[in-house]
Amino acid sequence: MTHLDHLYRFASHLTKDQEQAQDLVQETFVRAIAAHEQFVPGTNLKAWLARILYNFFVDHYQKNKRWSPLDDASDEGNEDWNRGAAENPGPGTQLLGKELGAHISDGLAAIPETFRTPLLLVDMGDFSYEEAAAIISCPVGTIRSRLSRGRKLMARRLKAYVKGPEQK
Amino acid sequence: MTCGEAQELITALVDGELHGAARALLETHLYECADCRTALAAGQALKQAIGGAGAQLRAPAALRARILSDPRIFPAQGRSGRRWRDYLWPMPPALRPALAVAILLAVALPAYYFMDYRREPVAVAALASYDLFLQGKLPARRGANADEIAAQLTRAVGGRFHPMGFDFSAMGLRPVAGSVREIQGRKILVAIYQGPDGAILCYTFLGSEEDAPPNSARFFDSEKKMNFYAFSRGRVNAVFHREGDVICILASEISMAELLAVTRSKARPS
Repeated sequence: MTHLDHLYRFASHLTKDQEQAQDLVQETFVRAIAAHEQFVPGTNLKAWLARILYNFFVDHYQKNKRWSPLDDASDEGNEDWNRGAAENPGPGTQLLGKELGAHISDGLAAIPETFRTPLLLVDMGDFSYEEAAAIISCPVGTIRSRLSRGRKLMARRLKAYVKGPEQK
Repeated sequence: MTCGEAQELITALVDGELHGAARALLETHLYECADCRTALAAGQALKQAIGGAGAQLRAPAALRARILSDPRIFPAQGRSGRRWRDYLWPMPPALRPALAVAILLAVALPAYYFMDYRREPVAVAALASYDLFLQGKLPARRGANADEIAAQLTRAVGGRFHPMGFDFSAMGLRPVAGSVREIQGRKILVAIYQGPDGAILCYTFLGSEEDAPPNSARFFDSEKKMNFYAFSRGRVNAVFHREGDVICILASEISMAELLAVTRSKARPS
C-alpha cells in the first residue's frame, strides 16, 4: 500500500468522483510541499497527508458544494440496538466475495459523510482512533461513536450480501 | 452492562481500541450474551470486508503521472530549478530532505512500497491454505491414524514441538492427513480432520499470544484460565489458543460459536 494509493482511496470515497479525487490528491501534495515546515520528521507522514487532504476537501469542495453528499436522512434514526443486533449476521457469517467491493463502495457513498469518513480512516486507512480524531479534528470518543453508527448503517445496506449459517 | 451500552465498546474491540476495565466488562458481557457475540462477529466481518474492498482501489497511473509532472511539486530542473527551490524551500530546514524523500518515495517509487507490504499476522496468513488443502492443491501426507500423522509432523520439525491432537469423532471428523507449511519463516504443522459434513484444520506452531491477530475477539475462560481468540478469514472461522509455547489454531467453516465451544472443551491449560 502506498501513501498515494491510500490518499486516492480516501479522496475517491470522499468525493465519489474519480476525476475530482485525482484533483484532490494532486492538490494535497501541492499543499504538503508548501507546508513542509509543519511536518515533524519521525511522525506519521500518511496521517499528516490525510489531514491535509481532508482539510482541503472540507475547505474547498464541501464549501463550494461541487457535489452534494448523498446523506440519507432515513439512516439518522435511532434504532433499537437489540433489533439491530438481531438483524446482524450470525456467527460464521460470511460476506459474499462476489461483487462485494462494489456494494461496499455503493454503501459508503450512500451513508452520511459524518459516518463515512471515520470508516474510511479506520477500516480502509488503518489509522488508530487517535490518528483519525486528529485528522478530522474531533474527540476520540466521537470517532468511536461515529464508527459504531457507520458500521450499523453499512451492515443494514449490505444485509442482502451477507450469508448467515442458516443459509449454507 | 446492557446490549445498548455494549454497542460502542464492541466497535472499539473490533478495532483493537478497547483496553483495561472497559474491555474486561465487555468480555464478561460477551460471555453471557449471544446477541452481542453475534454483533461482534458481524463487526469484524464488516471491518475486514471494508478494508478488503479498499485495498482493491489503487491510484491510477495517470494520477501518478500528473503529480510527477506538476511543477509545483516536482519542478523541472535547469529552467527554473533555482527559483522553485527559492520559492518552495526558502530556508534549508533540517526536515526538508526528510519530507522530500518521503513524498518522492510515496509517489515516484511505488515499487518500494509494494515490497514493503503490510504483513498479515502469521495466524491469519496460515488460514490462506485452508481451501487449498481441502481442494487438494497443497500437498498433505495421508496417515492411517492420528498417531501416525502426529509422528510424521513431529519428525518434520525435528521434534522441536508436537502437533496438538484432538478427538473430533463426536462431530464425525477423523484425522486424515498432515502437512508442514513455512509462513514468514515459521514452521506450521497442519493436521486435517475431515468427515462427511465438514472439516477442521488444526494449525500448530511455536509462538505466544502476541501472535493472535490484533483484531481478533478475545474470550477468557475463567475455569481454565485461558484466553481464546476468535477471528475469521473469508468464510473460514478460526479460534487461536496457547498451550505453553505452542499455538493452536482450529479453523473451520462451522459457526464461530460452535468452533469456540469445541476449542474451549478440548484445550488444556498450560
